[in-house]
Amino acid sequence: MRRGELPQLLLAGVCLLALPLAIRAAASRHPAATLKPSYLPALEGPRERGPFDADRLPALARLDPAWVVIGDSMAGSRIDPALLTQRTGGRTAPLLYAGSGPAWWYLVFKNWVIPSGVHPRAVLVFFRDTNLTNVLFRIDASWALDTAALDREDELNGVVARRRGASFYRIREDVERLYGAEQARRAVEPVVTEWPARAMFPSKRARAGFMQQLNERFGLSHLRPMDAADMQATEDREADFDAYVDESILPLLLRDAGRAGLRLVLVRVQRRPVGGRPPYQSPALRRYVSKLAAYVEARGAVFFDDTGDPRQTLDWYEDGDHLSHEGRRRYTEAFAERLLRRVP
Amino acid sequence: MIFHSLDFLVFFAAVLAIYWRLGRRGQNVLLLIASYFFYGYVHPWFLILIATSTVIDYASARGMERRPECRRMFMAASIASNFGMLGFFKYFNFFADNVHAVLGAAGIAVGMPVLRVLLPVGISFYTFQAMSYTVDVFRGELRARRSLLDVAVFISFFPHLVAGPIQRASYLLPQVEAERRFSIPRAASGFYLALWGYFKKLVIADNVGVIANKVFALQDPSFEVLWAGVFAFAIQIYADFSAYTDIARGTSRWLGFELTENFDHPYLARDPADFWRRWNISLSTWFRDYVYIPLGGSRAGEARWARNVLVTFLLSGLWHGASWNYVLWGLYHGVLLVLTRAPGVRSLFFIPAGDGKKGSDPRFGDLVRIPGMFVLTLVGWLLFRETELSAIVRDLRLSPFHSAPFERQAGLYLFLLAFGYSIPLWAQSLWVELNRGEPERPPGWGGAIVRAAACGAAFAAILVLRSRTSLDFIYFQF
Repeated sequence: MRRGELPQLLLAGVCLLALPLAIRAAASRHPAATLKPSYLPALEGPRERGPFDADRLPALARLDPAWVVIGDSMAGSRIDPALLTQRTGGRTAPLLYAGSGPAWWYLVFKNWVIPSGVHPRAVLVFFRDTNLTNVLFRIDASWALDTAALDREDELNGVVARRRGASFYRIREDVERLYGAEQARRAVEPVVTEWPARAMFPSKRARAGFMQQLNERFGLSHLRPMDAADMQATEDREADFDAYVDESILPLLLRDAGRAGLRLVLVRVQRRPVGGRPPYQSPALRRYVSKLAAYVEARGAVFFDDTGDPRQTLDWYEDGDHLSHEGRRRYTEAFAERLLRRVP
Repeated sequence: MIFHSLDFLVFFAAVLAIYWRLGRRGQNVLLLIASYFFYGYVHPWFLILIATSTVIDYASARGMERRPECRRMFMAASIASNFGMLGFFKYFNFFADNVHAVLGAAGIAVGMPVLRVLLPVGISFYTFQAMSYTVDVFRGELRARRSLLDVAVFISFFPHLVAGPIQRASYLLPQVEAERRFSIPRAASGFYLALWGYFKKLVIADNVGVIANKVFALQDPSFEVLWAGVFAFAIQIYADFSAYTDIARGTSRWLGFELTENFDHPYLARDPADFWRRWNISLSTWFRDYVYIPLGGSRAGEARWARNVLVTFLLSGLWHGASWNYVLWGLYHGVLLVLTRAPGVRSLFFIPAGDGKKGSDPRFGDLVRIPGMFVLTLVGWLLFRETELSAIVRDLRLSPFHSAPFERQAGLYLFLLAFGYSIPLWAQSLWVELNRGEPERPPGWGGAIVRAAACGAAFAAILVLRSRTSLDFIYFQF
């Protein structure tokens, strides 16, 4: 070994750990320094968060609903709250957010419905296929999550950490906090991603216009249709109930409903029919659904599966798995009948 | 397990903490356990495949030595098991799809079975590595090993298990069998190499990868946007794959091993032959030694040579993936290589009368040859990245003369963005190329301080500039 090799390596190690502390000093001057720690540290670093929507609690209490509907656009395009109220004789409270996922549905139930003190006849949660056991589905919809999350969501974070295999997220969190890395990223990211636009368009207005046009250029309408085989393969990987149930919000949802004495109705919506028939379900998905139904019913919840309902034909649908206006009316009427039979 | 996860860092620290307290045999037992843990971390059933491959290749090699009269049979068993596994998991659906398409075109409707199973990561790498052992024993270039443990460690050595570089048995096995001593200079160089690898992966590859993915998700790209995306992909695949190699080589040094180089600044290649001396060197030399030379190499005239080159590159393309675009990519490079032997084309590449190998003095011609070869490489990456043949045809028909002004601006923006991220990569390549042949001097304290500062800057960049979208290493899928 040459003389000085070990000290030089140690110097490199010290510099590696110490120099990035300058980030913290630099970032402290930036407005991003005030970022709050995330309630999902297994997923992300500190960030600016939207406010918790506390108004929902008194609003729910005032409405005193018989039915609370939780879900995304699948529920929104299927349930007409006024019509459901009219057909069942009980008021309906829709708690919906387009583009939301199971994490938001769970938070809404835990942080809005239960604390509001209401006792509806049932809380209806609408979902597609494997949503309930895939906590990562739309977990990045932070604009929705923020409205229903408290400052700490340890249980949800634990589920996310297990699902992501992020067992050592606390180390990452500590490192990020030590160096103020997230704050620095918030400050640096716009500079790094916009420098070509700054060089090309000195005017702020022209630059903003270009960036907006660029975002639209990469919008959904310009993207290739997703490969059906890939989608199926992805879905089949998700359709392993035993593997994922303990890494999902489902046990928490059922446990909290039991503790609060609330009845849950979990509604699996039918995806878009193909060729005049209900959509194809792989053997793995069929096994998954039967296990899901047995699991939730064993824990006191009601399970509805729309798939295969002969009335839900293609003419009810508008785009993708969404129903049309007329389809929504017909769905709500049929749903009200079925609901009253199962939840008298 | 993936290198850029905290799980790996904790795992590696735990292995190191035990490793250097053990004797050679204990170290090998630990390496085998660690390698199998690493490989089976997400999907434990993958271990059945690698263990099966190991046992069959070990037994085949032993059989060849014990019963030389049956060595062909043992070689066939090794080839059949390795290619059988590779064929089943990697090529079954490709084969079924194509049979279905051909029969369908002939008016025969047949329902072909579809294999719904994950492709085991790294299977192409470790089956090729395992086969290099049995082939070398078959050829009498290597003696069969008595220790199953040593052979198992050679095949499964975790730093390079899932994405190479593919190591020859004659190179790595002696290291597995030798006493290893911890060396500060080796550990130091491994540390710098692995850190550079992490920087390339997290800061360069993942960021430009997002650009490439967005462009290749478009159904209506313009000429400018498409080629900016191809440029981004070129940077991504080099930064990503060479990062894996650097981390593999760096971590191996901490365990007392030296793995071979896999890249030598390929985007500064001057012609197709030079490119293949610099890109994925371990795979190119594997195909050279086990396919091209056995086919006859350049020994039997120009026509046979051209055929051998094309067959070798076609197989190399197919090795990358079960899809026609990879075959096309391989053939494209084969054709380029064949064409550069044609006298008229040689002058286009400014190839001198000699072999034009790297390391020659920079000449004026290089200013044309290097960018020219880079453009040809980009065309290859388009074939590599586009999985649909119809999309390739559409892309190649795009014209720069029909784009709207916004498309030109968008293409320029994306190109500059990708280029900005790739500056450290180009700077390193140019530095190495310009100093090639210079004697390596040990850095004094001045150099050590600069290097230490670079380490701090690299870590700071990883913390602040790493992409929010973490992408898998591209070569995992092969």
